[in-house]
Amino acid sequence: MGRSDEELVEACQAGEASAFDVLVARWEDRVRGAAYRFLSSDDEARDVAQETFLKAYRGLSGFKREARFSSWLYQIATNLCRDRLRRRKTRPQVSLEAIEESGPVIVETRPGAHERLVERDQAEAVRRAIHALPEEQREVVILKEYQELTFLEIAQALDVPVSTVKTRLYRGLVQLRQRLETEGVRREAPVPVPAP
Amino acid sequence: MGCDKAVDEALQGDKLDVLYGEADAAARARVSTHLASCGACREEMAGLGALRRELGRWRLPLARPGFTPRGYVVPRWLAAAALFLLAFAGTVGASGYLSLRRALQAQEARAAIVERQQRETQKALEAQLARTPVSAAAAQDLLQRVDARVDARLASSDELQRARLDRLFADWQDRAEVRRRVDMAQVAASLSYLDGRHGEQLQRTNELMGYVLASQKR
Repeated sequence: MGRSDEELVEACQAGEASAFDVLVARWEDRVRGAAYRFLSSDDEARDVAQETFLKAYRGLSGFKREARFSSWLYQIATNLCRDRLRRRKTRPQVSLEAIEESGPVIVETRPGAHERLVERDQAEAVRRAIHALPEEQREVVILKEYQELTFLEIAQALDVPVSTVKTRLYRGLVQLRQRLETEGVRREAPVPVPAP
Repeated sequence: MGCDKAVDEALQGDKLDVLYGEADAAARARVSTHLASCGACREEMAGLGALRRELGRWRLPLARPGFTPRGYVVPRWLAAAALFLLAFAGTVGASGYLSLRRALQAQEARAAIVERQQRETQKALEAQLARTPVSAAAAQDLLQRVDARVDARLASSDELQRARLDRLFADWQDRAEVRRRVDMAQVAASLSYLDGRHGEQLQRTNELMGYVLASQKR
């Protein structure tokens, strides 16, 4: 059994630099995944992941173990993504990946092609709906739905109370439902909640 | 029909806890009690569950080229060409090395044979010398002949040296004469340019040239 994040952080703080490599290997994909969801750009997500670990390494000596290490990482990554999104507003950029995802680029002729295209369209609709949310709600939805953080971890990462996290998530989910219904995305049949 | 506790944030939080599997027993009980009497919330919980499954459609593009490590991607044809060249160079290099090694081995063998032959010859000469001792008169005669040959060589060398020096001296004289003529022409041209070609100036120039020539001859 490997060492926990907290043990590795403690080892890093004691001067065992290789312990940080273990932390990077453990969290890099997830941090990059979150950044990709925030930014819709693999290149930028990779940069954000690198910057996140760089900042984490530099700030490790001052890291107090009040929050979990993962929450702290997500906090750094989220802030970096926010900065990049703000810069984009002042200097609009066109993400090639977004174009690639949204444009009718691929002509599929193989068996099952139609189903794959439908799935692709639906995935794109979900992506668009999430990116249409206000930033605060979008962050919570991504961290909860895709990064599977607990409410407490999200609260620590975003430095807000748990109740705020839940409110933002609830509002975000309601907006997503409405938007996806408006866009006519094929709905999963709701599983009725039986009355107890 | 709406829920009469739609603004109850605590209940909303409990519902989310249930939806995401984070609810403790008390929260589950509260939600369960409410759902039993609220059709709107039952419908909402079912809808949110369906929404979560829909959100799962947006997956990370793991197979995207962008998720491979960055850097220059070598085209396949270039990689194939490079491999071919590498293999070719490797073959040539290996065969070259082998042939060079064979050549060195052959040379070493030849050198060993020559060395052995030299040793044998030396031994034979030493043996012959030991068998036929040289008399004092023969040695004297040999020395005289050697001296005579050395003298002849020296005389020949002296003659050769002398002839060579004569040739060099004649050559040097020729070149000095040519150089002198060139210098004189230049002096004449310079003087003509400076003094002009008229009257007394020209005469003066000629006198100067005569003087220079006379001094050269002296």
